[in-house]
Amino acid sequence: MPHLPQTPGEPPPPDVLLDVRDLRTYFHVMDGTVPAVDGVSFQVRRGETLGVVGESGCGKSVTALTIMRLIETPPGEIVSGEIWFDGRDVLQLSQDEMLQVRGAEMAMIFQEPMTSLNPVLTVGDQIVEAVVAHKKLSRKAAWDRAIEMLRLVGIPEAPRRARQYPHEMSGGMRQRVMIALALSCDPKLLIADEPTTALDVTIQAQILELIRRVQAETGTALLLITHDLGVVAETVQRVVVMYAGKVVETGSVQEVLQDPKHPYTEGLLASIPSKGMRGTRLNVIKGSVPNPFRMPVGCRFHPRCPYAFDPCPDHEPPLDELGRPERRVACWLHTTPPFGLEHRPRYGTATPLPVARAAAAEQVP
Amino acid sequence: MTQYIVRRTIQAVPVLFLISVVSFVLMLQAPGGPAAQFNQNPHISTAQINKWLQDWCLVRQPTLADTIREYLGWLGVWNCSGGSFLSAHGLPNFLPPFLGGGTNGVVHGDFGYSIETGRPVLSMILERLPATIILMGTAFLLWATIAILAGVIAAVKRYSFFDQSVTFVSYVFYSLPTFWLGLILIFIFGVTLRWFPVQGIVNVRQAAAPFGTPAYWAAFAANPLPNIWDIAAHLVLPVATLIAVSIAGDSRFVRSAMLDSLHQDYVRTARAKGIPERQVILRHAFRNALLPILTNLALEIAFLFSGAIVTETVFSWPGMGRLYYEGVNARDYFLLMGILLIGSVLVVFMNLVADIAYAIADPRIRYN
Repeated sequence: MPHLPQTPGEPPPPDVLLDVRDLRTYFHVMDGTVPAVDGVSFQVRRGETLGVVGESGCGKSVTALTIMRLIETPPGEIVSGEIWFDGRDVLQLSQDEMLQVRGAEMAMIFQEPMTSLNPVLTVGDQIVEAVVAHKKLSRKAAWDRAIEMLRLVGIPEAPRRARQYPHEMSGGMRQRVMIALALSCDPKLLIADEPTTALDVTIQAQILELIRRVQAETGTALLLITHDLGVVAETVQRVVVMYAGKVVETGSVQEVLQDPKHPYTEGLLASIPSKGMRGTRLNVIKGSVPNPFRMPVGCRFHPRCPYAFDPCPDHEPPLDELGRPERRVACWLHTTPPFGLEHRPRYGTATPLPVARAAAAEQVP
Repeated sequence: MTQYIVRRTIQAVPVLFLISVVSFVLMLQAPGGPAAQFNQNPHISTAQINKWLQDWCLVRQPTLADTIREYLGWLGVWNCSGGSFLSAHGLPNFLPPFLGGGTNGVVHGDFGYSIETGRPVLSMILERLPATIILMGTAFLLWATIAILAGVIAAVKRYSFFDQSVTFVSYVFYSLPTFWLGLILIFIFGVTLRWFPVQGIVNVRQAAAPFGTPAYWAAFAANPLPNIWDIAAHLVLPVATLIAVSIAGDSRFVRSAMLDSLHQDYVRTARAKGIPERQVILRHAFRNALLPILTNLALEIAFLFSGAIVTETVFSWPGMGRLYYEGVNARDYFLLMGILLIGSVLVVFMNLVADIAYAIADPRIRYN
């Protein structure tokens, strides 16, 4: 990943399909303003798989909907940022121009297969609708295309199934239909928002396998949004970890999962139950997701962080590189704090991270 | 689909039976009685009265058994002149005449005779039916169209000036009583502004014959256009009275059904496909909002019927509603029971049509 931030208003290099820069999406509701996405930047290269992970409410889905320009305004507002997609900033496109992009060049799979398909239209018709809108095809040719897509996603007896309504299909089947629908116009980018969360575990594995297979076959780039680190480990190449509307850590999947740098990522990984833990209490991240109306000042994670120290409550850490541009973390433990403040634990008494220990050791003369 | 229609039709039979019981019991409980009405009529002899009472199994000071016999006689299951469940041919009385059944009772199309006019109830009702169908048909079409259009536009342009105006006007009209609105419309548009005629269905000074008579229909067929215009002018005020309250309520209902639908996941999926917003709203949001709207419209048909009684009376509309009002004043029991029953059959039939329309609109209930 090239250096951030880039020159504003300039397109990224051609191998970068999607370049989200300092994106801010706020929701203005009766009780105040919710900064659901607050300065998020990341990139997806052509054909690449990027995972976005984080707790519920951290702004993952809003980021995806903002890229698709599906945020309802009001109450939503895209306050600032640039979304460069295939050489143009989609935030600068008109609604009519956006119709040519949405569904055709970028497509989305939603979390709830049970409710995401129109109950009164046959699944075939729903795919045909997208095909007819974007490809210059007759209805007959579009219908053949729909059946071809249903075959691609492994639906048996596709011609018969295409004439069925969503209620005649299981959840896993419906999610297959959603994938067929999303891929029907050969998009360059596929956004999958928690595609397996609503499915039971055996079906989850099948759907993930299907997404991997069709991605390999079609060469589309994939932005996979999930809260499930197991899904991330199996599917993606690079990871973006989000917390409270901000990116806190990025890196390759091995780097992030095996050597997490941000205390939040560390906490997420520690809270995964494993076989050896039988009979012991599950590790959890203390506290809860911050109130979106009153986000903590400084680092947004500091009230829950076991390593929080002097700069954390007052200064927001930048998303700084760790050795190379694609490995970044936003944490004062890994960045020189401003104003010469020292690495000195202030709130927590937990054992510091290895890095924190090393940093502390350096401080000792 | 055929199976569904047949099943729904069969399910309507017990409903109609219950309605016949209720309308009979209601009339039974009302004060006064046919004999009391006869006593005020100097032209009827005691012998005539007794013959008439016997034809309909009616007795003075009836016991419970007599009452049940009266009901079964009115229904046509009991043969009043023979005094048994069997017809003169020795077969069950409820069978149609050509199969050897009897001829009395509503199952044989015999609703009895009006006490007031002495004419068969059925022919009186059929004579009034066209005027009511014209009034209610026009009202229903306009009502459904306006309510759906206003509701859908208000939902799509939520909190816009149009939406706020619809909300405001809805609350005003929803609070108005029908009879009062009718009188005010007559005063403003009929008496003061003189834009529309205030009563009747045709202009009696210009019409060739009274509305509904064969002579009228002959003149109508010979020269339809001015006659249609005449009826249309007479329709304006009663239709406005009849639908103002319903439109007010239903546009709110359509708006909320549409808002509900617009926030569903499948609408977001449709938007994500990149199809034009118009298609998203009509094919996805409205197509689904239509389901509760259809149910609601079907339920309100009964409301239209009761509204027609007041409206037809206020506007002297020669329909079933005013016939009912006249029947109530005259204690015309057979006429009232006949109108109740035929009105109920119409309402049940319209609900059946709505159920079938619902089954066509919603694939999920077809095969249940």
